[in-house]
Amino acid sequence: MAPANALPTDLDVLVIGTGAGGAPLLARLAGAGLKVAALEAGVRHPPEGIATDEVAQAGIFWLDERLSAGNDPVSFGRNNSGRGVGGSTLHYTAYTPRAQPDDLKLKTEFGVGEDWPLEFAELEPYYDELEYFLGVSGPAEYPWGPPRQRAYRHPPLPLNGAARLMQKACAEIGMKTSPAANAALSRPQEQPGYGTRHTCTNRGFCQAGCSVGAKASMDVTFLALAEFHGARIVDGAQVTALTVKGGRVTGAEFMRGDEVEHLSAKTVILAAGAVETPRLLLMNGLANSSGQVGRNFMAHVGVQVWGQVEDDLRPYKGIPGGLISEDTHRVPGLVGGYLLQSLGVMPVTYATQYARGTLKWGPELVRHLSGYNHVAGINVLGECLPYEHNYLELSDELDARGLPKPRVHFSFGENEKRMTAHAEALMRDLWGRIGARDVWALPRAAHTLGTARMGRDPETSVVNPVGRSHDIENLWICDNSTYPSSLSVNPALTQMALSLRTADALLDGLKQA
Amino acid sequence: MTVGEREAILALLNSPHVTAPTRRALLERLDARYARQFFDEAEFGRLRALSVRLVPHDPAEMDLAGTVDHRLHSGVGDGWRYADAPPDGEAYRALLAALPEGFEALGGEAQDAAIPSIQSSHPYAFEDLLAELTEAFMAHPLTQYRFGYAGFADAPEWPRVGPNELEPREVAYGPR
Repeated sequence: MAPANALPTDLDVLVIGTGAGGAPLLARLAGAGLKVAALEAGVRHPPEGIATDEVAQAGIFWLDERLSAGNDPVSFGRNNSGRGVGGSTLHYTAYTPRAQPDDLKLKTEFGVGEDWPLEFAELEPYYDELEYFLGVSGPAEYPWGPPRQRAYRHPPLPLNGAARLMQKACAEIGMKTSPAANAALSRPQEQPGYGTRHTCTNRGFCQAGCSVGAKASMDVTFLALAEFHGARIVDGAQVTALTVKGGRVTGAEFMRGDEVEHLSAKTVILAAGAVETPRLLLMNGLANSSGQVGRNFMAHVGVQVWGQVEDDLRPYKGIPGGLISEDTHRVPGLVGGYLLQSLGVMPVTYATQYARGTLKWGPELVRHLSGYNHVAGINVLGECLPYEHNYLELSDELDARGLPKPRVHFSFGENEKRMTAHAEALMRDLWGRIGARDVWALPRAAHTLGTARMGRDPETSVVNPVGRSHDIENLWICDNSTYPSSLSVNPALTQMALSLRTADALLDGLKQA
Repeated sequence: MTVGEREAILALLNSPHVTAPTRRALLERLDARYARQFFDEAEFGRLRALSVRLVPHDPAEMDLAGTVDHRLHSGVGDGWRYADAPPDGEAYRALLAALPEGFEALGGEAQDAAIPSIQSSHPYAFEDLLAELTEAFMAHPLTQYRFGYAGFADAPEWPRVGPNELEPREVAYGPR
């Protein structure tokens, strides 16, 4: 018998990455009886090992250095890149709004940006399935988007200080608000392949990793299910190359510790995210007959407004994004739109953002930070258009493994600047209404999107509408790199929907073959 | 750090309100001191003097400059840097070299007067160093105690999350 730690052989499918792109399809394919494995650069982070401390949790972020260029350089690391079994879902805030149908039709509606090569109706059943499986907590009636076929599984989580202040301020100007949909449990839930997931303890540290399994990160949901169905997850395995023979991908080479190893499979699915996926493709010169690999990098408009109030708010408590409004989904003068969300925050994240955002130092800095318990935040998440001037390339600088570091060029276009200004004015007005003092705004971009877009035309896209590369028949991509446009909502839920859809397409293809 | 502050911090950290991994991280940080390894002695003297002006603190209580030196020596990064800036250590050295001769011996006001010019000549290094020092300061258990921050004491749960809805352990933690 082979030793338990021996690498699997005769794989049907090898998945690279275990986040919102790789995990759902891994479970689906394993459940259908395929022999599958996943390579994950990071290691396992069991919930009970997660400290309530941001510095101690640095290990769940992708800390290999990336170079940020352009007029609005994007910060990586803790801002938006996870590392570990579960990928970026280890640190996502579990905010799970659905895209609205018109998000997918930007070009049709505005004449700019891109349409998605699929309809909302194709995503909807996956949204229904996911919200139930993950255990999303949300309102009985959600005020925006098409009426849902299936209610949220659990009632909403309690609103914290910032959420209640935003609720009050929005009511004053006639803006609708609602408790947000969050993939964190307001009631315990049995999770197939995992066991009991506990109710959220309102600990507020979602971005530092959940310590009780309440948050639907992939490790306690789809990956547990995948392993239950026999999938293998090889962790601590950094992929360094894709191997190719006769126009087909044959597997991937990876480093575990100092060892270079290889896994072969009939089909390879890249799910490494909008930076590592194009980096791997560019390093290997693959799937790029369109010249689109690395192009059209997008990061959501994410301006935040912060203030301090008399009340003792304790911004470390409760789900950070408790309240939402999508009343700004369409705003005259803007292409696309944005959503508003209330913000709780962890102390170190708040402090470093304040330092970078205001460049205040000396006694003034310390005085402001001493008011942390009184901080309330509000932010937006809005459309970012694809542009020629935003792209990822390989730099000449090498990392510790001797591979080129990625350089990401990012500058807001006119629409993003107008959206930021519009949103900042609105949020300053709202925070003025609650009597906040020391109000300041942090212009910001969040999430990594684009760089290997999906489309019907092989001349202008990297993968087809279900995620198979146009150039290489057995190479698929399933992560946020395939987004043709950014959507005006957080990407995780839609990414999981695309992942299940890709799995179903792959299984259909096998049935027909 | 007064005896009273230390006792209060240890009392909460050692209570059942704190999980084992959280306790481990914070106890280690409470007394962390680092031997200089990355910068030379003159550079480190300047770094320490600059650190005290940027993020006012007592170096005997928390070793913020040492934290920076240690991080650079260990080679750990934060996942990104400005493409126009050299690697962190090099950028910080250039920032420190741009301070006037004898900076560490100047009075506080004279030191403060010298800071805007290094901020404008080395904007990325200034921002990165300020953020790194601020992180080390805010992550320190003594700062957290003085600011009345009790968020790490979450082992039971926070059943009530609205404004002014504090648990006894939150009310009790911090200077009276």
